[in-house]
Amino acid sequence: MKESFSREELLRRGLAGGAFLSLPALLAACGGGSKKAVSTAAAAVKKTMPKTLTFSNWPLYIDINEKTKSHPSLVAFDKHYGVNVKYLEDINDNDSFFGKIEGPLSQGQSINRDLIVLTDSSGLPGRMIELGWLEKLDRSAIPNIKNLQPSLAHPNWDPNREYSLPWQSGMTGIGYDPKLVGGDINSVEELFTNPKLKGKVTLLTEMSDTMGIVMAANGDDPSHVTDATFDKAVTRIQKAVNSGQIRQFTGNDYSGMLAKGDVYACFAWSGDMVQLQIDHPGLKWVIPSTGGMIWTDQMLIPKGGNVYGASVLMNWYYQPSIAAEVEDYVNYICPVVGADRVLLKTDPAVAKNPLIFPTKQMLANVHAFDSKALNNEKYKKKFNQLIGG
Amino acid sequence: MTAVPLNGVPRTWRFWRFVRHHVLTVYILLALGYLFLPIAIVVAFSFNNPAGRFNYTWQGFTFKNWTSPFGYPGLGGALRVSIEIAVLSAIFATILGTLVALALVRYRFRGSATTNLLIFIPMTTPEVVMGASLLTLFLNWRIPQGFGTILIAHIMFNISYVVVTVRARLVGFDRHLEEAAMDLGANELVTFTRVTLPLIMPGILAAGLLAFALSIDDFVITYFNAGSTITFPLFVWGAARVALPPQINVIGTAIFAVAVSGMLANIFFQNIRAKKGAVTA
Amino acid sequence: MKKPASLRRPKGTIPYLLLAPGMAWLLVFFVVPMWYLGKTSLSHGLFPTFSFGWAWGNFHDAVSAYRVQFVRSGEYAAIATAIALVLSYPLAYWIAFRGGRWKNLFLLLVIAPFFVTYLIRTLAWETILTDNGVVVHTLQHLGVLSSGGRLLATSAAVIAGITYNFLPFMVLPLYVSLEQIDTRLIEAATDLYASRPKAFFRVTLPLSLPGVFAGVLLTFIPACGDFINAQLLGTPRQYMIGNVIQSQFLSVRDYPTAASLSFVLMAAILVIVLIFAKLLGTERLTVGA
Repeated sequence: MKESFSREELLRRGLAGGAFLSLPALLAACGGGSKKAVSTAAAAVKKTMPKTLTFSNWPLYIDINEKTKSHPSLVAFDKHYGVNVKYLEDINDNDSFFGKIEGPLSQGQSINRDLIVLTDSSGLPGRMIELGWLEKLDRSAIPNIKNLQPSLAHPNWDPNREYSLPWQSGMTGIGYDPKLVGGDINSVEELFTNPKLKGKVTLLTEMSDTMGIVMAANGDDPSHVTDATFDKAVTRIQKAVNSGQIRQFTGNDYSGMLAKGDVYACFAWSGDMVQLQIDHPGLKWVIPSTGGMIWTDQMLIPKGGNVYGASVLMNWYYQPSIAAEVEDYVNYICPVVGADRVLLKTDPAVAKNPLIFPTKQMLANVHAFDSKALNNEKYKKKFNQLIGG
Repeated sequence: MTAVPLNGVPRTWRFWRFVRHHVLTVYILLALGYLFLPIAIVVAFSFNNPAGRFNYTWQGFTFKNWTSPFGYPGLGGALRVSIEIAVLSAIFATILGTLVALALVRYRFRGSATTNLLIFIPMTTPEVVMGASLLTLFLNWRIPQGFGTILIAHIMFNISYVVVTVRARLVGFDRHLEEAAMDLGANELVTFTRVTLPLIMPGILAAGLLAFALSIDDFVITYFNAGSTITFPLFVWGAARVALPPQINVIGTAIFAVAVSGMLANIFFQNIRAKKGAVTA
Repeated sequence: MKKPASLRRPKGTIPYLLLAPGMAWLLVFFVVPMWYLGKTSLSHGLFPTFSFGWAWGNFHDAVSAYRVQFVRSGEYAAIATAIALVLSYPLAYWIAFRGGRWKNLFLLLVIAPFFVTYLIRTLAWETILTDNGVVVHTLQHLGVLSSGGRLLATSAAVIAGITYNFLPFMVLPLYVSLEQIDTRLIEAATDLYASRPKAFFRVTLPLSLPGVFAGVLLTFIPACGDFINAQLLGTPRQYMIGNVIQSQFLSVRDYPTAASLSFVLMAAILVIVLIFAKLLGTERLTVGA
């Protein structure tokens, strides 16, 4: 787009210039200066689709045809609407990605994305709403919103789903190798005290996941965090760290460690386990008896993005058939009602996998972390000290 | 001293001489083994056939990673970005750096000490600090991070290395050849282009290659200033957390092979030129 | 007779013209950023709303909050440098003195492994040092590690990684300086009845000191700021100051703290280098590789 140092500008100046002049809607989509942001309000009224949409997402988070390396759901979208979706897998970490977009957004500049995906448990979607850096969805373009799982319809940081729609959810529980552990495990207490597991346990660097599960194990409610409950959980974890029980705190690198056998049991995300089980069918995942966590990755439209186009794209993914296609590959938790029925015919194994379509009982046993606590600097600092960073 | 020596050299002496002579060689072999161990792992695992996402445990031999090295989405694109940046930054840094080296070696001027210092300091600044400070510059000047900022950063750190390399070549350069050319009537420019430049070209090429290698492998400085652009090292960093395809090993091995072949060729050419008696510094 | 151009008094502006583009680049993209870093380190608040305010307190806060990581970085870097020196010296010596016609080839062999991308090399160490791997089992067998011991996720692995990754920075300067030693000096020493070890310690070693100095500098300085080895081979309990700076800049986005930490790091390195230079007795800092 029109960033002064973008690669496109340096290498393909002519092409870029020509393409952009052809569509008025595109001016709203790719703002390059502060004035463009204002025009998005007007652009939302326009109901024409832009020629391209830019969609930033996490790696391995969409369906993919292994042979052609294309994304069938996006190809189908292109065929249906004639819109090319530029798909970027450049979100590896919520905070780092936010750090990259913070600069331009704080100056009212567009970040040249129409759709981005951030996790609610990072506190960032809520923060972006507060900062005014998100566009409101064009609900008239998303009739399929009726397919949204009812449990996800009213998060407390966006009660009326004005700015966000779930992409995938995930549960955090205990992943383990029964052979190395010597049996089954389903309690945090055992994770923290079983001598067989000394130095072979990892927890997550995500505050919401680690603190949430431990708070639940203490009998406290992770969705209503107080200083007392937070400190109690910190103390418990600190004890396990001091005793050498906890090997380290990880991001998704626990997957590799579990696969190698360097780790016997850890806090793990449901979708990762499904993937690991392909290579290592013996690995298991459970929700701790005292409760696990659930988080949801949210589709958001950053300021300057093409609202209509992005909304139509969101709507596309709320068709059960498309959602099923995505789910078949991604294997996290589908937010779209009806996808499991589609999969029952095409890939029953996935449809019946409780890690992908959890039972009501499982859903009752997972909590979402208190969104107010997510942006609490004091808590963040305490947690950072705990994990030693 | 021990028993009556044969050939005038005592047996214990001969024994210790033998040990001394060879212990170093044994050490060298062990050291080389240590140096190449990770490389052997990288190459070996490029033939691994994992069904899942990670490449940590051996699961079977296959050639398919080598037949479709870019089969993993994003990898080809990241590599292309890396190569483009490496080529561009090598060219620019070599030009800028060679000019600086010429000035430093050939001329005496005020400020040469400061210049020397300014060339030296970036090589000793921790990459974390260089990358971070550049980021603060781009943030303050509201320059969006991406391909351009990475290129700027790479040219910046490459200049010092080019200067040092070319300077080493210039310093050992025999000025009499230039004098001879001038005595034969050539003016300065002709002397430079027909005599000096060809003779220092190996140094300039070496500097360019060094710059290319440093750029293609750079991680830390790029990490701070890449915005959303992804180079090959950044791709590996991201992939290490989510999924490590064997294709990464393939590309890593390929880069290694190309670089080593290049340097081997350079060495053999130098040996041939030495034999032919050409002037080498 | 006309003096050759190179020996005539050089024209005033040519050197400056030659220097201009390169030095301008360095000025704008190295010096100026440092100035901005300084400005940021003296500011308050979080991006994008921070304000410059001569916040000298930032330095104190940064150091006291992260003193552990500072000290740890120095320790790891020092140990890694020492080990690298011990490993590299015989290597460089052998190539310089026994390499013969194939010196360059051997040098290439030593440098070649480092043409594989840094990250990929370090990930390979993750595979090699795995808990159930040959290396760990052998060490457990030999009693170096306790029976449940591990290498990964410990400071040993991090230091080993740093040592390995910075080895060429130690080998090359050592080699250059050893290679330049005139062997006749050693011959002369032995002619004067010095034993071989004595000749080494009295002649070779002192003459190679510039190389030692350069190698130690070129290894220690980047090692101090490294964060990759700690990230991949260690745990947050092994995190070095580089990890903190990286996370402060990119995750926490507390730029004033991050900038202060960067400056303190550079200052600390400078102090250590100056002390080392005085000890070694050489003021020459620009011995190139």
